[in-house]
Amino acid sequence: MNEEELFKKYRETGDLSLRNQIVEKYLYIASVLAKKFVGRGVEYDDLFQVASLALIKGVDRFDETKGLKFSTYITPTITGEIKNYFRDRSRLVHLPRKVSELRVGIKKAAAEIFAQTGRKATAKELAKRLHVSEEDILRCSEAGGVVSLDSPVDREEDGMSFHDVLPAADDVFEDVENRDAVNAALSSLSEQERKLVAYRFGQELSQTETAKRLGVSQMNVSRMERKVLQKLRDQLKQTMVE
Amino acid sequence: MNELLVLRVRLRNDMMTTVRLATGGVCSLAGLSYDGGEDCKVCVTESLLLLLRGGYGEAEVTFTCGDRLHVSVAGIGRQSAPAPSDEDEIAAALLNALADDVLMRREQGALCAIEFAFGLQA
Repeated sequence: MNEEELFKKYRETGDLSLRNQIVEKYLYIASVLAKKFVGRGVEYDDLFQVASLALIKGVDRFDETKGLKFSTYITPTITGEIKNYFRDRSRLVHLPRKVSELRVGIKKAAAEIFAQTGRKATAKELAKRLHVSEEDILRCSEAGGVVSLDSPVDREEDGMSFHDVLPAADDVFEDVENRDAVNAALSSLSEQERKLVAYRFGQELSQTETAKRLGVSQMNVSRMERKVLQKLRDQLKQTMVE
Repeated sequence: MNELLVLRVRLRNDMMTTVRLATGGVCSLAGLSYDGGEDCKVCVTESLLLLLRGGYGEAEVTFTCGDRLHVSVAGIGRQSAPAPSDEDEIAAALLNALADDVLMRREQGALCAIEFAFGLQA
């Protein structure tokens, strides 16, 4: 069956196996086009998936009676879908090249370690393999997501969004009430936790340097930091509600 | 801004990265957005590949920055007979999808130059 007959028969019968036959025949176009857009912050597999879905949609929309070749019709269709995908889904904040490259390296190394050992790689193993510090690995792992200001602060359905709890730029530390609230929240922390806050957010020391001063491991600092921030967040949220 | 930049390159696969980097620089200079610049890189690469498959050994890429970025990619010195590929049609459709005013110039039926433009809002 030639292209026109295939489309005509699919149109008449709605037979999905015919549609799949057409899709498989032109899947190379999805692959070719996906490759053209690699390197813009979205991985090939994701682009190929977007392109393939556009191809399936395109098969249903194509009108073979208009005299256009399917490949000519589908190329701009797939290109449009890929560009829409970039517009809607790709990273809104561009990470520094070093961080982006390290993220790719981490993903690859983690997969290799998993293949070799059958378990998830630790930050230490990844750091050793990639010749970077554990801190770089942890920072990089945290540098992934873009969070909407409208998204909820936590899973509790109290309707609080980041927009509600983040301070406006012009009144950050000038607001006495805020300062009081922070002081009150800090007083709920242990001595060591307060030191951590002072080192990390007062003196802006690295996690490694903070670990040295506290006499604990850097991993420990990373865990403690997450815990402390959550504690402060809960405390401040409670203050705001009151 | 009115600038004219001309890049003459041998059509070898290993030159593509250099051309892409140069194109990125020109797009930035011309004031195209990040996505516009990336699209322009794709178009220049596709044009060079079309000329390569068209039997050319060299090409001249001319960028004219004005109220928009105009790009002309012309083959120089045809070395062999054109070797059409399935990808030619995809490349042409891709150029039309990404750029404005795409023009394929032909000599005796064979492709010899590709022109296209990007609005500065791209």
